[in-house]
Amino acid sequence: MSESNLILVLTLVFMFGFVNSMRFEIQSGHTKCISEDIKANAMTVGKYSVVNPTEGYPVPDSHKLTVRVSSPYGNNYHTGDHVDSGNFAFTASEAGDYTACFWAPEHKPPTTMTVEFEWKTGVAAKDWSKVAKKGQIEVMEFELKKLYDTVQSIHDEMFYLREREEEMQELNRTTNAKMTTFSFLSIMVCLSVAGLQLWHLKSFFERKKLL
Amino acid sequence: MEGTLRRRSGKMWMVLICLMLNCFARIESLSVSVNDVECVYEYVLYEGDSISGNFVVVDHEIFWTSDHPGIDFTVTSPGGNIVHSLKGTSGDKFEFKAPGSGMYKFCFHNSYSTPETVSFYIHVGHIPNEHDLAKDEHLDPINVKIAELREALESVTAEQKYLRARDARHRNTNESTRKRVIFYTVGEYLVLAAVSTLQVIYIRQLFSKSVAYNRV
Repeated sequence: MSESNLILVLTLVFMFGFVNSMRFEIQSGHTKCISEDIKANAMTVGKYSVVNPTEGYPVPDSHKLTVRVSSPYGNNYHTGDHVDSGNFAFTASEAGDYTACFWAPEHKPPTTMTVEFEWKTGVAAKDWSKVAKKGQIEVMEFELKKLYDTVQSIHDEMFYLREREEEMQELNRTTNAKMTTFSFLSIMVCLSVAGLQLWHLKSFFERKKLL
Repeated sequence: MEGTLRRRSGKMWMVLICLMLNCFARIESLSVSVNDVECVYEYVLYEGDSISGNFVVVDHEIFWTSDHPGIDFTVTSPGGNIVHSLKGTSGDKFEFKAPGSGMYKFCFHNSYSTPETVSFYIHVGHIPNEHDLAKDEHLDPINVKIAELREALESVTAEQKYLRARDARHRNTNESTRKRVIFYTVGEYLVLAAVSTLQVIYIRQLFSKSVAYNRV
C-alpha cells in the first residue's frame, strides 16, 4: 500500500443514511481513493464537489480535480477531468470493492482543498423524496416503510455473514487437511531422501571397490 | 500527510420529520500510513446524543510479517478534551454520550511503519425527548418510539458491519495461513532435496581420483 503519493483508501459502506456526505482534504499532487463494497445489482449514487475557498468567486484552477470511479475488475464507470463538482449513478454489475479516486493537480505552493463527497448504495440510494407524501399519517407510514427496508437489508446481511462463515470453515478444514497430508509427505520425503542417499553412496563405494 | 474528513450537518428532506431523521451513518476504512494520524470529523447536533461505532484493523501485509501490534484511537470533543481513547488494539467497539454539541474528531494513530487499513463505522443517534415534544406540536409521542426503533435497528446494523469487518480480517489471516503452509512445506522439500544432493556430491568429490590420494 505504499506509493509515492500517499493514497488513503477509504472504504465506505453506507447504510440508510439521509445525510452521508463527508469531507476530506487533498493536498496538491496527492491522491485519495475511496472504495465501497457494493453487492451485485445494487443501485448506487454518488456526488462530489470541491468546497469553494473563495466565496462568491468561481473556483480557481488549482482547486479542480480529476475523478475516476472504477469497478473491482478495473472497468471505468465515471470520469471527471479537471472538474470541481459532479455526480454519478449506476447499477453495480459485479459485487466487490468499487473505487472512486481523486487526483489533486500539482500546485506551488502546495494547497489543500476540501472535497465534499457523498456515496450512497442500497437502501440509502433509493430516492425517498418520490415515495414521501405530505400529512402526518403518511409521514409515519413513510418512516415505517424505511424501517421495513432496513430490516430487509439486515436480514440479507445476515445471510451474507452466514455464507462467509461457511466459506471460512471450509477454508480452515481444507487447510487442516492439507497440513496433515503435507506433514505425512514431509516424513516420506525425508525418509526417501535418506534412503536414496544411502543407496547411492553404497553403490558408489562398491563401484570404487572401497566397500 | 493528514487527511481530514469533515461532515457537514444534515440536509433535511422534510420539515415535519426533521427532528426524527438525524441519522448519520457511514463506515469508512482508512489506510493509515507511516507514522500517520488519520482523522474523521463528525458533527453532533444535540448534546446528549449517543455516539456509537466500531473499528477493525484489516491487515493486508501478514504473509511475511508478524501480527501488527495495533493502532490507537482517540475521540476529541469540540472543547478539546479527549472523550474516549483506546490504545494498541486491532479493533473494538465504542459508545458514549456526547457531552456537548459540535464537531467531534475521531483519530487513528499508527505508530509503526507498516501501513494499515482501518475499517470503521460511526453513528450519531438522536432520540427526541419530552423537551423536543413540547417544542414542536407536530411531533407525536409515537415518533419517539419510531426513533427508538430506528436507533435499535441502527445498532443491529452497526454490529453487522463490525462482524463483516472482522470476518474480512479473519479471512485475510486464514488465506495467509494457507499460503504459508503450502509455500513453506514445498520450500522445505526442495531445501531438503537440495541439501542431500549437495551432501552426496561432496562425498563423491572426496573420493574422486583427482583429489583422492591426498585426502582419503
